[in-house]
Formats: sequence, C-alpha cells, structure tokens
Amino acid sequence: MKNTSLTALLVTAASLVLLPGPVSAHHGWAAFDPDSTVTLHGTVTDFHFTNPHCVVEFDVKDEKGQNQKWQGELTSLNRLARKGWTATTMEAGDDITLTGYRARNGVLVIRISKIAVKGRDLIVDMGN
Amino acid sequence: MLGQKLEQTLGQPRQTPAAEVPDGAGIPITDPLVIAKCGACHASDGHGNIERISTARTTPEGWQDVLRRMVLVKGMSLSPPEARTIVKYLSTHLGLAPEEAKPVMYDTERRIHDESDVANQQLVDACTKCHTFARALSWRRTAGDWKQFLEGHAERYKIPPHEGALAFFARVAPLITPEWTAWNNRTRTQNLAGRWLVTATVIGRDKYYGEMVIEAAGTDDEFKTRVNLRSAKDGSALIREGRSALYDGYAWRGRSKGGVSASPAPDDPANEVREVMWFASDQSKAEGRWFWGQYQEFGFDVRLQRAVPGDPRLLGIDRTALKTGSQGERIRLIGDNFPGEVTPADVNLGPGVTVRRIISHSATEIAVEVDVSAGALSGRRDVAFRHSAIEGALAIYDRIDYIKATPESTLAAFGGPGQPRGYQQFEAIGYQRGPDGKRHTPDDVQLGPVDVTWSIEIFYATADTKTDTVGNVSSTGFFTPAAESPKNNFDVWVIAQAKEEKDADGKPLVGKAYLVVTVPFYTFNGRRYVRDLERWVDDGPVRAGQ
Repeated sequence: MKNTSLTALLVTAASLVLLPGPVSAHHGWAAFDPDSTVTLHGTVTDFHFTNPHCVVEFDVKDEKGQNQKWQGELTSLNRLARKGWTATTMEAGDDITLTGYRARNGVLVIRISKIAVKGRDLIVDMGN
Repeated sequence: MLGQKLEQTLGQPRQTPAAEVPDGAGIPITDPLVIAKCGACHASDGHGNIERISTARTTPEGWQDVLRRMVLVKGMSLSPPEARTIVKYLSTHLGLAPEEAKPVMYDTERRIHDESDVANQQLVDACTKCHTFARALSWRRTAGDWKQFLEGHAERYKIPPHEGALAFFARVAPLITPEWTAWNNRTRTQNLAGRWLVTATVIGRDKYYGEMVIEAAGTDDEFKTRVNLRSAKDGSALIREGRSALYDGYAWRGRSKGGVSASPAPDDPANEVREVMWFASDQSKAEGRWFWGQYQEFGFDVRLQRAVPGDPRLLGIDRTALKTGSQGERIRLIGDNFPGEVTPADVNLGPGVTVRRIISHSATEIAVEVDVSAGALSGRRDVAFRHSAIEGALAIYDRIDYIKATPESTLAAFGGPGQPRGYQQFEAIGYQRGPDGKRHTPDDVQLGPVDVTWSIEIFYATADTKTDTVGNVSSTGFFTPAAESPKNNFDVWVIAQAKEEKDADGKPLVGKAYLVVTVPFYTFNGRRYVRDLERWVDDGPVRAGQ
C-alpha cells in the first residue's frame, strides 16, 4: 500500500516494499471471436516461447500463391512448459496446421485451439 | 526448483524435528525498546519470549512491513529513529541466515522473476495472486506461528485457507534451522570500511568499473559511501555518494546519488538509487542491485570485491566477443593495481587467441592487440591478467546465428495524474548456435550486444493504428510510453533488426521482445489498483477526485 505518512515515518529505515495485489497485466482473449473458427496450413517463420503469451508467426499461401503473414497466440510459457513445450518445439521452416479463433478486427491473428507441427499434434492449454 | 532448493538449503528439516522450537518457546527479545513498544500489546512468557515476535524471523523489509501494519492498523506510536532501531534489532536477532535469504533475494532487489518452477505450484498460484511467493518464503516461523499467521491472513484478506499451506511452510520454513544456528554462532564484527573494486552493468547503456570507498558513519553498522565509476564505452566518470546500513552482518541497504543535475533524465545513472547488496560472510565480496524508477525498472547490477593494496586485479574487458579469423583487434583490460611493466605473456585470452602486443598500459587499464585464429573453436574463454582471471569473459564465434531482443517479455506503463511513466530499456543480444548446432538450446553462446535498428509493432494493429498512441522506442532501444494513458493495455512487439548480420537467406537477423504497456491504475468494484513490478496492488477504496 502506498501511504505517504508512513513512508515518511520509515523513510530512513530499510527499503520500502509495496503490498502486491490481485491482477496480472496482459490482454485477455476478448479480441478473438470464438464463433469464427479457421483452420490454416502454412510454414513457421518464427516461434516466441515467452510470457505472457507464446506466439507463432507463420506464412500461409493465399489463393494466388502469395504468402500471407499470420500470427497465432497460445497461452503462457509457464503453462506450455508444463505440457512439455520448449523453445525448439517448432522452428522456422516447420510445416504447421493450426485451428483457432480469428481476431474480431479482421487482422491475420488467431487464438490457437489446435496445432500440429510436422504432422504431430501438440497439447494446447487454452488457459490465459 | 525454488522449493526444492529451499529444502536443500534448510538441510531436510523433516528429518531434524529436534531443531524445531516447541510452540510457546522462541528467540528471547533483549532490546528494551522492542520490549517496551511491542510488549505493550504482545504478551511475554517470562523467559524473554514475546508472542508472535520471538517465534518468527525475516528480512529487514519483512520487519518493516510488520511495523508499518502495526502503525497503520493497530495505532502503534513510533518515531522514525525508534522504527530504525527496532527494524535493526529484529533484522539482526530475528533475521535470515545468508543461505536462507539468497534464494529470495530477487524480491528485495526488485527484479521481475519467474516463480513458476517452485515445487508446490498450487500453493504458489494461490499466494502469487496477491504477492510474490518469495514474500512468503522470506519468513521462518514455528509451526504454531505459521498456523496463527495463515489463519489471520485468510481472515484479513477474505481468502479461503489453503489446504496444505501449513504443512508446507512448517516443513520448509521452520523457525530454527541449521543455517540460522550456524550463522548465529559466527562472529558478527563488521569491518567493511575501506576501498572496494566495483563492476556495474546498466542494461542497454554500459559497463562501469571503479571503486567504492566505505567509511564508518556513527555506529558499527552504518556507513558513508563514495563511488567513482568510469564507463567502459566512453570513459565518462560517474561519482555517487550515499549512506547505508548493514543488517544481520550481510544485508546492505542504502541510498546514493550521483551527478549535479537536479532533474536527470529518467534513465540517467546519476539518479538517486536504492542499494540492496549481499556481503559474503568473509566480507571479501558483495553483489546486488542499485535501482530506481517508478517501477524500479532501472538498475545497476553490481559486484564488489575488496581491493588489496599492491595486488593486480582484472575487473573486466571492453569487448564481449571476437570473430574467428579476425586480426589486429584491440581489447582493453580494465582493472586495478596493474604493474608498471606489462608483457603479452601477462595476458591470456584462451585457446586460439594470440596477444600480439601491448598497445598501452596504466595502473587501471591495459590495451592489447590480438589475433583470433581462423580455426579457433567457438565458445567462451576465460580472460586473465597474471593470476587474476574472469571466467567466460570473452566469446569466440564463427557467425551470429540469431539475435534476441531482451528482456524477452516485460512491462511498461503509461503515465497518469500523479503517476510517472514506467519505461523499459531493451538490448539486442547476439547468439552463436553452440556445439550442438541447434539454435535456442542451452549450449548456445551469448555474444553480447549487436548493433540494430529498433521499431515497435502493436498486436492486432489495423492499417489506421498509430504506434505513437502507445509510445516510441529510441535508436538505443529505450521505450518511452505515451504520457497520457489511452485507458487500455497494449501488447507490443519491440523489434530489433540487425544492421549487418544476416540469416542464411541474406535477410537481416530480427529479434522480438513482447512488451505489455499497461494503464497506470484502474478501478474495480470501488477499489483502486496500481502497478507494482509485474502485478497490481490494491490501493484501497477509490477516493474523491481519483
């Protein structure tokens, strides 16, 4: 808690510590439409094994054969690590098939619900 | 695993029940002020034990929190000198042994730390909804005191009691441990006065080398300090002065300030800092963090070693990596007490690296010219001047395989009324793939900073999204959030694109960091929440005007 009078009282004692509270600070999943599911097949261009969300960047060829740049979001590194994921679970160049919810604003981003890398299904934790 | 490490540190307390203090017993309190102030409400057992105090141990910050609560909630009357005296006494006589404090030092150093690897994850999840798990593990209590604490905690914060919490904490964090007993039996005579050699790193800015002169100030455990550092990059000087106290024989807590500017830039290392350091029990070295900023997002990572007169000491070098086959590279060795005569044979940079000649030398710096053989194996090398060596100080590499923008995931915060912004400094670090030939594996060789161009990209951005709504990143990787909060959190890629290094397809190497830019505060159910490190703090009911 921030309390200036007490801060003044103890200002010359040891360093101050705030009482932490109850909410983490990243986005939720409201930006994705659970009624708009899409399945995509493409090639991984990058994989970010990180908090608060792991992210797959991948190319998908459109009907004209042109590469579209897509991004797929997963849950946190911590949750996926408990399912056996690592930073090398997928790498640039890997063949990938994903199913997920599209972003409501139409950008090429999905929240991933199913994923297969090089033909092998991976366990996806849909937690925050 | 933090929990397992802790259990190892505590020497398997389950097998040593005799070390536990019976409920009702504890560590006697002998300080008259503590007895007078605390004993006014807490009962004494006639053997010097005061209830709820004699049965617990913690850090200076832990005891300070207790005093704060006693003043705020219980109406305890306390002057600042009295508060200092009580925190000092309790932290020394009911503190933690260094081995107990070290695993949770990141909390006191205000570092964002991933606690997901603690053994009892369910308990961690419950505790970390409100605070770091380190905060809980910063305490040692009798089983009876843990029970009282957990019941009071559940009632005070209206949370359901966690099944298994009492058994866990009573097992891994008992009042009396072998480490505490051993630490208590060691001499506590402090002799920190004198000259110390300093190595300090500020992420994204520079490495600094120099000295800290510590002088006793009044009592045995209070000190005045004067720090004189020099940038390895440009030689600029940084002078800091401060005051500090030492708790429990090893825990350094202080403040210092440098420079003459009345209002230095947010990231200026001349800003006033809080110093948290941990002195080795033999008082030969120390390490810690000196930090500042609204969210303690800026800091020096500091290492100290005691200066020995006449002893040549290598502190660091000004390069982090050299490429195989490179010729005539200049490296500066920075140190203390370098002798008047220096030859190439005095300097060793490891296999495959030849010191061709000494370019110049002084008591604090030696410049050498080196060649790296084309066939040198990639990997880290120790660097030595005579008998003084630094492990893994120099990396040899054949190519940069990828870059990381670091920190890889972090936070910044918009400004708000009465709420300064939270900034973030990024660095682009190069990596070589390591002996296994695979990228992103543990054997990869870190090569140090790479010259890059910085940009940001907002998640879910559409064509009309303007990045300056969120903020901007400078050419040096310094992210400044927008001064006014757009009243929404944003997820942002901070992108580092290498100026020279390219991938196998000839495209520039790119690294991305995941940055969440948060609002400075929000209200929910009539309460106000403000940011603290990586979590939200309940700041109490919304008041008029907020």
